[in-house]
Amino acid sequence: MRYALVLALVASPALAGPQEAIENHILPNLTAFTEAAGALDDVAQANCEADALKGPYNAAFDAWMRIADIRLGPSEQGVLTISFWPDTKGHTQRTLKRLIEAEDPVVENQKDFAEISVAARGFFALERMLYDEDYSDYGEASYACALTRAMTHDLAQQAAALENAWREDFVPVILNPGVEGNTTYLDETEVVRAIYTQVMSSLEVTADTRLGRPLGEPTRPRPSRAEAWRSERSLANTMIVTQSAYDLAVELADWELPETAAAMEQVHAAAEKIEDPGFQNIDDLSSRFDLEILQQAIDGVENALEAELGVRLGIQPGFNSTDGD
Amino acid sequence: MKRTTLTASALILAAVPAFAATKGEVLTTYADIAHAGYEDSLTTAQTLNEAVDALIANPSEETLAAAREAWVAAREPYQQTEVYRFGNAIVDDWEGKVNAWPLDEGLIDYTENQEPTDENPFATLNVIANPNPTVGGIEIDASTIDASLIGEEINEIDGIESNVARGYHAVEFLLWGQDLNGTEAGAGERPYTDFVEGEDCTGGNCDRRVDYLEAAMDLLIADLEEMVGYWAEGGEAREAVMEDEDAGITAILTGMGSLSYGEQAGERMRLGLLLNDPEEEHDCFSDNTHRSHYNDGLGVQNVYLGSYTRVDGSTVEGPSLSDLVAESNADLDAEMKSKLDTTMGAMTALSDAAEGGMAVDQMLAPGNEEGEKLMMDAINGLVDQTATIERIVADLGLSAIDFEGSDSLDNPDAVFQ
Repeated sequence: MRYALVLALVASPALAGPQEAIENHILPNLTAFTEAAGALDDVAQANCEADALKGPYNAAFDAWMRIADIRLGPSEQGVLTISFWPDTKGHTQRTLKRLIEAEDPVVENQKDFAEISVAARGFFALERMLYDEDYSDYGEASYACALTRAMTHDLAQQAAALENAWREDFVPVILNPGVEGNTTYLDETEVVRAIYTQVMSSLEVTADTRLGRPLGEPTRPRPSRAEAWRSERSLANTMIVTQSAYDLAVELADWELPETAAAMEQVHAAAEKIEDPGFQNIDDLSSRFDLEILQQAIDGVENALEAELGVRLGIQPGFNSTDGD
Repeated sequence: MKRTTLTASALILAAVPAFAATKGEVLTTYADIAHAGYEDSLTTAQTLNEAVDALIANPSEETLAAAREAWVAAREPYQQTEVYRFGNAIVDDWEGKVNAWPLDEGLIDYTENQEPTDENPFATLNVIANPNPTVGGIEIDASTIDASLIGEEINEIDGIESNVARGYHAVEFLLWGQDLNGTEAGAGERPYTDFVEGEDCTGGNCDRRVDYLEAAMDLLIADLEEMVGYWAEGGEAREAVMEDEDAGITAILTGMGSLSYGEQAGERMRLGLLLNDPEEEHDCFSDNTHRSHYNDGLGVQNVYLGSYTRVDGSTVEGPSLSDLVAESNADLDAEMKSKLDTTMGAMTALSDAAEGGMAVDQMLAPGNEEGEKLMMDAINGLVDQTATIERIVADLGLSAIDFEGSDSLDNPDAVFQ
């Protein structure tokens, strides 16, 4: 007994960070997303019209953004099938058009629907159906209604499957590094680095992609590249995902992060100045400036975390999925 | 403890590999392989240029087929150099001119089923058919198609990356045309008559299409010449790698990891699989994507093992990163080699299946379980080898995988400004 106790004492402080990050942050947020996606689908099956769905759609999207940038384990693929963005080649409009013109019967079978292009699944396909005037004016008996229902049902199923895959398959792997047969994580440092990489790449993606893509060049802003601009969620997505990255870092750290907390306050202050939640006014120089300030504030959180968490842990972020082009 | 000392020393001695590689030697091998790879890319592109000249002089089924064959051959060495991209700023800055992808090919020539998007209002500009296109309210003089027009004015027009007007994929589109077979068998089927000037011209504007193809080839060759020079003795890219040995080793690992994970496993393979879109394959006009994937994987293995087999069959080799890792941690080196082998096994299976009749676009078809497995095995191999690359970075005590630099490390004062 005494021997086991000593082992436990030695092992637990090192694992406190990852365990808290997963049990206090990732898993509860996965559950909340499952519930919100289920609620959206319940409403859609009763009434598929766009105006009826906007409320629960936004609630589900809010819940998703809390875990949208976690690309570990089952989320590596799940992220792409739930929120396919950026869509640099216009896949979503092309795929939806093809489905609707052909009245493709794939919407009648959820199993088949789960096999179609990710461009017609998840939040960004739904956004077109609910907010793009070329699509949103559909009635109960239409093909578009059936398509929308297939999308919400697919999303609810994906949410439940993702949560289940984490709880059943992945948590035992990530919380038991170094045990026999675990080739994914050989020791606790690898787990800490993996979670730290999620935090840092989320902040990087938000500054460089969520804000950087619409900002474009000073002389050539690109408002239509803002994330979820049709539903005017660009600012909300930015803020939720940034807050969530911070919350995850707080769970991972076993100490206070005062500079990071101060940097987060700067993010909130900068966000309050943003007038258009869909970033469609950035042709205007002063509005553009406000968005640049927000971008710099998010960079500030990343820098503070690197110093307060990364340097102190003695780790660097690993490779992330946006390392390519 | 003392009793075991001798035995322990003997074990350590036995574990030291034949090559006791220094970092400088490893970097020299790395630069030598780069130079040979770009040189092979250049000579095969020159062969392609001759085939293109023959096609233009005498358009026929045969000359078009020969040009396509030469394009495929030119891709073999080039794709093996992609591993140099992400670790070397000089290569990354240049690469967009040569191998940019994906592209909105409607910018260049006639297409079907394309339309302007949120991202790109010029996705169907069709420069070959349009001598005076208007972009952002400004009319462009495209009456003469030459290297300066497509290289400077049309490429990435309006700052949009998918407006790819130059490089391998522009040439590929001109030689094959759009692949309209979807996820069914077959590549692009552009007829040779698209290059016949005069009455028998198909597709319209054959004279402008010929001008375009010639200009695109001129640019490609000039770009490759530039990169060969960068890796020659005293060249900028070679000097940059040799300047700081630790940074140079980090560059090798950054290139290996970024290509394996974010670029290849993610952007090119997994996303293509999830989109079920036949255009989401790297060489979508020619259906040569399987070789593109295979050679990308091979390039990663080449730089780790410090050995490259040239197009003439000779070998460039020397002290390698593998030797360096083995000295520090023999198990880790064995793990890396084994994972690279696994990935190349999966890539070989994928390539063989494609050569056997199931092209990558067919593998992307919904419900093609065999194709999906071939793709997923390769993706999983790439993801898995990335984890070992990260372990090597940690084991060698290297810092900052992100080669763009890390604010807090480069400039500690910048953190709390």
